[in-house]
Amino acid sequence: MVALYRFLLLILLTLPAQAERCVVDDINHTVCLPKPAERIIALSPGATELLFAAGAGSKVIAAVTFSDFPEAAKALPRIGSYNRFDMEAIVAAQPDLIIAWKEGNPREQVAQLRDLGLPVYHGDQRDFQDIASTIKRLGVLAGTEQEANAEANRFLEGIEHFRQKYEDAAPVRAFYQVWVNPLMTANKNHFIGHALTLCGGENIFGELPRLTPRIGVEAVLAADPEVIIAGGMAEDDPGWLDAWRPFSNLTAVQRDNLFFVPPSTLQRPSPRLLDGIELLCRNLETARGRR
Amino acid sequence: MSTLSARQLVIDIPERGDGTPLDFSIQPGQIWGVLGPNGAGKTTLLHTLAGLKSPRSGFVELNDLGFAQLRRKQIAREIAVVFQERQDGFPATVLETVLIGRHPYMAPWDVETAEDLALARDALKRTALSALEDRLVSTLSGGERQRLALATALCQQPTIWLADEPGNHLDLRHQVQAMNLFASEAESGRAVLLCLHDLNLAARWCTHILLLYPDGRACWGESNKMLERSALETLYQQPLAETTVDGRRYFVPATGAVND
Amino acid sequence: MAAVEALRRRSVPLLLLAAASVICIAVSVSTGSVAISVGELWAVISGGGEPLHRTLILELRLPRSLAAFATGGLLAVAGALMQVLLRNPLADPYVLGLSGGAAVAALLCMLAGMPPAIVSIAAFAGALGSAVLVFGLAHGRGSWTTTRLLLTGVVVSSGWGAVITFMLAVGPTEQLPGMLYWLMGDLAYARSPWPALIILALTSLILLPLGRSLNVLARGPMQAAALGVAVRPLEWSIYGSASLLTASAVTTAGSIGFVGLVVPHMLRLVLGNDQRLILPAAALTGGALLVLADTLARTIIAPEQLPAGVITALLGVPTFLYLLYRSR
Repeated sequence: MVALYRFLLLILLTLPAQAERCVVDDINHTVCLPKPAERIIALSPGATELLFAAGAGSKVIAAVTFSDFPEAAKALPRIGSYNRFDMEAIVAAQPDLIIAWKEGNPREQVAQLRDLGLPVYHGDQRDFQDIASTIKRLGVLAGTEQEANAEANRFLEGIEHFRQKYEDAAPVRAFYQVWVNPLMTANKNHFIGHALTLCGGENIFGELPRLTPRIGVEAVLAADPEVIIAGGMAEDDPGWLDAWRPFSNLTAVQRDNLFFVPPSTLQRPSPRLLDGIELLCRNLETARGRR
Repeated sequence: MSTLSARQLVIDIPERGDGTPLDFSIQPGQIWGVLGPNGAGKTTLLHTLAGLKSPRSGFVELNDLGFAQLRRKQIAREIAVVFQERQDGFPATVLETVLIGRHPYMAPWDVETAEDLALARDALKRTALSALEDRLVSTLSGGERQRLALATALCQQPTIWLADEPGNHLDLRHQVQAMNLFASEAESGRAVLLCLHDLNLAARWCTHILLLYPDGRACWGESNKMLERSALETLYQQPLAETTVDGRRYFVPATGAVND
Repeated sequence: MAAVEALRRRSVPLLLLAAASVICIAVSVSTGSVAISVGELWAVISGGGEPLHRTLILELRLPRSLAAFATGGLLAVAGALMQVLLRNPLADPYVLGLSGGAAVAALLCMLAGMPPAIVSIAAFAGALGSAVLVFGLAHGRGSWTTTRLLLTGVVVSSGWGAVITFMLAVGPTEQLPGMLYWLMGDLAYARSPWPALIILALTSLILLPLGRSLNVLARGPMQAAALGVAVRPLEWSIYGSASLLTASAVTTAGSIGFVGLVVPHMLRLVLGNDQRLILPAAALTGGALLVLADTLARTIIAPEQLPAGVITALLGVPTFLYLLYRSR
């Protein structure tokens, strides 16, 4: 009898909770939806990828420029670029969920969308855990928990696999080139930095305060990395790496440890990081073999 | 009508000694001519008398009141200044330019009335500029601009005129017309002070003369006493020849041979 | 009679410009990436219409149009004031470093995480500080010549530009997206148009009775003083109001160039140089111009958006050059 009462009470309590789905986003706002989101707008290429990863790809109705992954994302209608979007087009699309990017989107415009009564989720992924938890939370909002949880777990397991594999590997002093002109790299808090650490690399600019610091060529020469990895350039254009070859006293050049890792697999917070990490780890391993 | 007085006035010219403190009154009906070589401080004196520049010491009185006790607007209703240099950077018509002479009489929200317009047109007529009413100032000749400055001051209806080289840019006929204008203003009870570089204009029209030397020394008095050849020769560092026409003395530069 | 005539001479162009401004705002409100027919627009204006259309027009387009109008008006009036002050048509708040000073001060406050009210006050202080700096330095020991003043302004202004670039370079990355627009003005970031509109209206009202004094000041400070203008107080009130106008424009939409320079100059070529006419005309024309520029900025390559500053320059440069060429 008491058990039955308790059961009924439980049902009463959980009914509204089941109808309304809530998550806490990365700026500690609670985002609640009365029913699973069906019309989602992603305000960054990364958010688009994460939505697809969470199994909610079919519910994305619009995205910003450069949202090129997965293939299906390329066909999505555009509502501007991540740093300047068409407010009108967003409102007119009548979304029931907007995924904003805390660091990339203009704050005033996102705040205005919220003021207009649109549910906005603010994403800010800084490490591998964040990616997994974002996928899960997006899954909750879109009602695709099952796929989202599976993908999040697959991702975390992949990361764990690399962690175990390279935990005890000999450190490799590495320089990752984000851009050529101006010369830019990534610090330890960037996903590139996390990936380097995971593969047993030692980021020569890891301790710089800014996420993507601008540096001089001389700083690279002085640090004399064992490996130089470049992203950014086109897949079949080794121009950035060739530019280092004249510096023949660089260890990386002497040992021919100049590698290319497609930037989209390392610079966006998405499960595709696993691909980039795998390539990166393999490159560092090659470098270890050339000692 | 008004009186403008300098009281122990020393004008402020950087890096120059005090010289003679100036102490004189320009009475209604008088025409004062300030004579002196370039750089003697004629313009500075004129600006100081107008209250546009602070003196080094002493003060200027308008009807026994110091400038400190008067508002700029009150001063502007009494004293009109004709400047040697003018800034016409922005486009404006002749009529608009004359009308700014009414500024001291208007409250901030006032609009020029028919009366103001009539005064302006009258001033243009007296300076023979009526035909140019709608022309842009930038299209006028130097002499026309000089007359326009006189017209603006006329429109200001001052009791005291301070004019800096009013004969500049004017041909002989217009110089004479300008001097006649000052004479008629003086006749109707106004006080006039002119900085002049033409000795003979001063000799012909001025009732009083102030000689200003480059070192700050000065002397002043009635024309007939002041216009002495030796004093003027010292003033200009130039030998002069003297002649008399209609009982007035006139001076021309002497050639080296004529020199004493 | 003459007074009536003078008033009419001034009110005709102003009425025309006011009508043009209303038309510009109407065009701006009825254009966008979502097509809204005139009928639907009317329905919204008369208090009905679909909720979506109401949101688009009343929450997005109208506030943005009004913000653009206010910003343009503020900049044009500030420009007109600076030009009279310096008796030089090259002066404007952008060239003289006022908007740079406002932007630097506002950015510093934003980096320190200050609330918007403090940011606005700081922007005003920055603009005023920059004015004092420029005029103080240019004044030196003698009286300032306008060439010297302009040169000082240009140098200080590029100094502020460098400081902004420096702050953006060393500032925390997460603050960046909200700050880049200070470099190139953009109405997309404007929230409420009311502070800017109120400041524009108030300053215009305060400046109107000063119009004739400004006309006199345009003939040089000596001539102005001789005509009974208290020159120093007037000059300081111009610095003050130009700084206030610039600061509220900058806090609304960042640094938008060209409006302050081009609009007063165009108007002078057409309407003459009576400040009683030029100042309100500048407010209306500057406003209308920026409304048009911003409408183009958000529709011309929609859904991609452009900063309005790009359009004002693209529209302003050829217009300015044409008028200048024709006036020779």
